[in-house]
Amino acid sequence: MSSVSQYFSGMFKGIWSLLTGMSVTLKELFAKKVTQQYPENRKTLEMSPRFKGVLIMPHDENNEHACTACGICQMNCPNGTIKVLSKMIETEDGKKKKILDQHQYDLGMCTFCNLCVITCPQDAIIFDQDFENSVFTHSRLRMRLNKEGSKLREKKKPAPVAKPAPEKAAEPPAEASADKDNETKE
Amino acid sequence: MIKYIEAPYYLDLLDNFLKTNLPEWAALAIEYVLIGLVLLTAYAVIALALIYVERKVTGFFQARLGPNRVGPFGIIQSVADMIKILLKEIIRIDNVDKFLFYLAPFFMIVSSFLTFGALPFGRGLHVVDFDNGIFYLIAVSSLSIIGVLLAGWASNNKYSMIGAMRSGAQFISYELSAAMALMTIVVLTGTMKLSTIVDQQEYVYHWNIFRGHIPAVIAFVIYLIAGHAETNRGPFDLPEAESELTAGYHTEYSGLQFGFYYLAEYLNMFIIAGIATTVFLGGWQPIQVEGWDGFNTAMNFIPSFVWFFGKTGFLVMLSLWVRWTFPRLRIDQLLNLEWKYLLPINMVNLILMVIIVIYGLYIH
Amino acid sequence: MEKIKELILKTVPDAVVDETQKLTVTVTSDKLHLLAKTLRYNEAMPFDFLVMMIGEDQGEALGVLYMLSASQDVSKELVLRTSTTDREKPLLYSVTDLWETAHFNEREIYAMLGIRFINNPDMRKFFLNQDWVGFPLRKDYDADPAINPVNLESRDIIDIAPRIVETEQGLKEETVRIFEEDDYIINIGPQHPSMHGVMHFRTSLDGEIVKKIDVHSGYIHRGIEKLSESLTYPQILHFTDRLDYLSANINRHALCMCVEKAAEIEVPERAQYIRVLTDELNRIQSHLIAWGTMCMDLGATTAFIYGMRERELILEIFEKLSGGRLIINYNVIGGVMFDIYDGFQKDIHAFIIEMRKRVKEYHKLFSGNVIALGRMKDLGIMTKEDAISYAVTGPAGRGSGWSCDLRIHQPYSIYDKVQFKEIIRTEGDAYARYLNRLDEIETSLEILEQLVDNIPDGDFQAKTKAIIKLPEGRYYQRVEAARGEFGVYIESRGDKTPYRLKFRSPSMALVSAMPLICREEKLSDLIGIGGSMDYVIPDIDR
Repeated sequence: MSSVSQYFSGMFKGIWSLLTGMSVTLKELFAKKVTQQYPENRKTLEMSPRFKGVLIMPHDENNEHACTACGICQMNCPNGTIKVLSKMIETEDGKKKKILDQHQYDLGMCTFCNLCVITCPQDAIIFDQDFENSVFTHSRLRMRLNKEGSKLREKKKPAPVAKPAPEKAAEPPAEASADKDNETKE
Repeated sequence: MIKYIEAPYYLDLLDNFLKTNLPEWAALAIEYVLIGLVLLTAYAVIALALIYVERKVTGFFQARLGPNRVGPFGIIQSVADMIKILLKEIIRIDNVDKFLFYLAPFFMIVSSFLTFGALPFGRGLHVVDFDNGIFYLIAVSSLSIIGVLLAGWASNNKYSMIGAMRSGAQFISYELSAAMALMTIVVLTGTMKLSTIVDQQEYVYHWNIFRGHIPAVIAFVIYLIAGHAETNRGPFDLPEAESELTAGYHTEYSGLQFGFYYLAEYLNMFIIAGIATTVFLGGWQPIQVEGWDGFNTAMNFIPSFVWFFGKTGFLVMLSLWVRWTFPRLRIDQLLNLEWKYLLPINMVNLILMVIIVIYGLYIH
Repeated sequence: MEKIKELILKTVPDAVVDETQKLTVTVTSDKLHLLAKTLRYNEAMPFDFLVMMIGEDQGEALGVLYMLSASQDVSKELVLRTSTTDREKPLLYSVTDLWETAHFNEREIYAMLGIRFINNPDMRKFFLNQDWVGFPLRKDYDADPAINPVNLESRDIIDIAPRIVETEQGLKEETVRIFEEDDYIINIGPQHPSMHGVMHFRTSLDGEIVKKIDVHSGYIHRGIEKLSESLTYPQILHFTDRLDYLSANINRHALCMCVEKAAEIEVPERAQYIRVLTDELNRIQSHLIAWGTMCMDLGATTAFIYGMRERELILEIFEKLSGGRLIINYNVIGGVMFDIYDGFQKDIHAFIIEMRKRVKEYHKLFSGNVIALGRMKDLGIMTKEDAISYAVTGPAGRGSGWSCDLRIHQPYSIYDKVQFKEIIRTEGDAYARYLNRLDEIETSLEILEQLVDNIPDGDFQAKTKAIIKLPEGRYYQRVEAARGEFGVYIESRGDKTPYRLKFRSPSMALVSAMPLICREEKLSDLIGIGGSMDYVIPDIDR
C-alpha cells in the first residue's frame, strides 16, 4: 500500500514542483526586460569615469602635452604595449634636451592594467572612456598618442586637466596619428 | 452574410468558374495543383511565423527582447534567416553514407507535410478527409522517426549516432501514449473521421475535452506531453541535447538540409497542437453556447480558420512555456515517465472512458 | 607541530628542518616516499591533504616541493622538499599512491621540468604535446619558435602512456593502453558547448554509460608562471586576473597578500575592508555563473539568463568601482587602486535586497524541480576521503562534508572580524554541490552586510617603494577562491622579479576528480556533474 501511495504522492509532488517553476517564468514573461538597446542608447549611456577604454594623452588648447619622454610607462608596461621614442634637440640657450618624438601605443596588446597611468610622474597619459575601438585592420590599433607638432607644456602653466569631459571622449586619439590612412576610421 | 467570410463560398466560385470554362479533367488538374501550392506556401509561412514567435516569446520568458533589428519588432528576422539558409552551402562530407545521408531530411519533411495536409483548418478547408483520419495522422507522423534514425546512422558521427538511438527509444515509447490518448477520444466520438469529430463539437460543452470530462482531460494532458516528446522539443530534446551532443542527429547537416530539420521541427509542433485542437478543443468551431443566439452570431462572424489558428496558437504557447522552463530529462527519466506513469494511466483512462461511454455518463 | 617535528626526525634522522617561513623539511629523494607515507598515515595529525606540488629548477638540481596540510585542520602546514642532481634523466618517486591529486601535478612537473616519477601510473606530459622539445620551466629552456613550430597537420591521438615502475629487478620502463581495443570513444571537447572552456575529455562509452575518462588539457596554456619570472611584482598582478577569470579579484588578493607579507608592507584597514567586500561580490558573481551554467548544462536555458541578469548588477558595481567588469584589476600591492565611489554602500544595500529575493526565485525555478532533482541527486558521488585525496576544495569539497573553508580555518585579511557559518553538506552528490553554491551566495551576502557600513576611514593604499624587491626566501599564501583553495608560492632571490612563481589552481583538482566520480554514470550526467564541479579552464592551463 505504501508503495502505491508513494507512487501517487511522488507524481503529484512532481507536478506541483513543475507548476511552481512555470509560475516563475510566467511572471518573467510580463516583467520588465533588461536588454540594453546599445546603439540607440548611445546618448544616455554613461560610462564610469574609471572605465579604461583607450589610452590617450590630453593636449591643451595650445597643442601642448605633459609628457617628458622619461619612459617610465614603457618600463612598467608588462607586455610592451607602449613605446616612447624621444629625440634630442638643442634649446635656445644652447642646452641639449630630450623631448618626445612619438608616444606609440598598441591598443591590441593592451591589457588595461593601468600601471602606466599610475606610475606616470607627470600625469601625462590617462585612460579614456571611449570603448568603440573596433577597426578592420590590426595596424589601426597602433596609435600615436602625441599630436602632430605638439610640444611639452612649460612648467609654469597650471596643472593639466585631469580628465576630459565625456564629450571629448568621442574625439579619437588616432585622428592625430602619423599615418594618414587613419582618415577612414570612425 | 456569414457565408461571405467563410472559405467555401470563394472555393465554390472558383470551382464553378474553372468548370464552366474548362473541361472537367483540366479544371480538376488545376485545382489539385493549386491546393498543393497553397499547402506548400502555408507550410513555409507557418513555419517562419512559428520560428519568429518562438524566438520572441523565448526572449520575453528570459527577460530579453528577442529579435528586434530586422524590420519593425524584428518580424522579418525569420525571413532573413530563411534566405540565409537557402543560400548556404550544403557541405559535402567525405565518409558518410551518401544516399541515406541526403535522403534523411526528406523523410522528415515529407512526413510532416503529409500530416499537415490532413488537418481541418476551417469550415470547408480540409484537403483529405479519410474515414480513418486519426489512424492516418498517427501513421504518417511516425514516419519522421525514420528521417532522424537515418540521419544519425548515415552521418558517421558518434554524437549523431547516440542522438539517433535516443530518438528511436523515445519515439517508440511516446508514440504509444499519443495514440492511446487519441483512441480514448475515438471511443467517445465513435468515429475516426476528422470532419465528423469536428462537427460533433458544436457547442462549447460538446468539445470533447468537456464532453468526456475527467478521462478526456487526462487524455488531453497525456497527449500534449507525448506529442511534445514526439516533436523532440522542450524538456524532451534528448536527440539534439545541445549541451551533451552538440546538435545530436543533425550535427553534420548544413544549409538547406539543416533547414529541412529546422522547419519540420517547428511544423511538427504546430501539427501536434493542431491535432489536439481538432480532437479535444472543437477544431475550427467557434465558441458557441446553446441559447445565446446573439453571442453565437457574433462569434460566427470570426472566420473559422481564425478559431483554429487561435486555439492552436494557445497550445503552441503552452508548449513554449514548458520548453523554456524545464531542464532536459535524462534517457532513463524519459522512459520512466512513459512506461511507469503515462502508459498505465492511459490504459486505466481508456477503460474509464469505455465505462463512461457505455453508461452514457458523458455530457449530452 | 612539535610532535610532528619529532616524528619527522625519528623517521628520517638526516632530514634538514628549517622553520623560517613554514616548517620545511629537506630530504634526499630516496627517503621522501617513506617520510611522506609516515606523515600521511600518522595517528595524531594525518597530513592527508596535498595542497600544492611545486617543481623547481635550482641550477644544478631539479627539485619538488610538497606543501602538505591536514584535512582535520587545514591551517596546519608543512613543506617537504627533495631534489635530484641528474639533469639528463631526473627521476623521483611518485606519491600518487598517497595523494591522488599528485597524479596530475606530477605529470605537469614532467612536462614543465622533465622530472619523471617512478610508479606514477601514467607518465604522459600534461599540458604539452608528447613530442614537445625542451622543458619550459627550466632556466636553460630555449623558447625559439623554430624548435617547436606550430603544427598545422591533423594528428591522431595516441592513447598509449609510458610509465616507469619499480619491480624487484629494478626500474622498468613500460607502456600502458589507456582504452581497450574496441572502446567506443567520443571526444567531449576541446570545442564542446558545455565544457566551460577548452577542456578535452576522451570518454569511452558503453551505450550511454561512461566507462572511462581521459583528461587532456593545455589547449590554452599560456605559460604564465614562466612569463612571471621575467616581470616585476606589480606587473605579474595582471596575470592573476586571467587565471580563474570568475574569481579574478580573489586571485589577485592572494598574490598581493603574498608580496605584502614578504616585503612587510602594512595594508591600511580601509583597504582590507574594500578588498574583502570586492572578494565577496566576486564570489557571488562566480556562483551565479556556476548556477546558471549548471542549469544550462542540464538544459534549462532560461535559468542561465536569470543568473547572468543578477550578475550584471555586480558587474555594474565593479565597473563604477574599478573601471573593469570581469577582470576588475583592482587590488594593488599595498591596498586597492581606487577609493570606493560615492554611493558604493547604497548600491551594495540595494543589491543585497535584490539578491535575496532572487535566490528564493532560483530555488522555486530549479532547486525543487522534479526533473532537476532526478538529474542531480545521488549522482557523481564523491566521498569525503576522495575529496581530500583529490584535494577537491571549495563548494565541491564542502559538499562532501569536508570542512575546508580557509576563511574560517585560516582567516586572512579581515575575515576574523566577520561572523558566518561554513556551508557543509555530507551527501557528496551533484545536488549538494549545487545547493552549497546557492547557500554560499547567502553567506557572502551576510558578510557584505556586516562590513559595508563599517568601512573605516583612512588610506586606501599604503605607500610602497617604486621598485618592490622581496627578500630572499620562499613565501606562500592560500586563499579561499570561489572554486576552492587558491594558492600562491613565490621563491625570491632578492630581485625585483621572482625566481619561481607557482599558482595552485583549484580547478585542476576538480577536473582530476572527474574521471573518478563520472565512472558508471550516464553521458548526460557527465555534463551535469561537470556543471556541478564548475571548473574554469584558464585556471588549469596557467
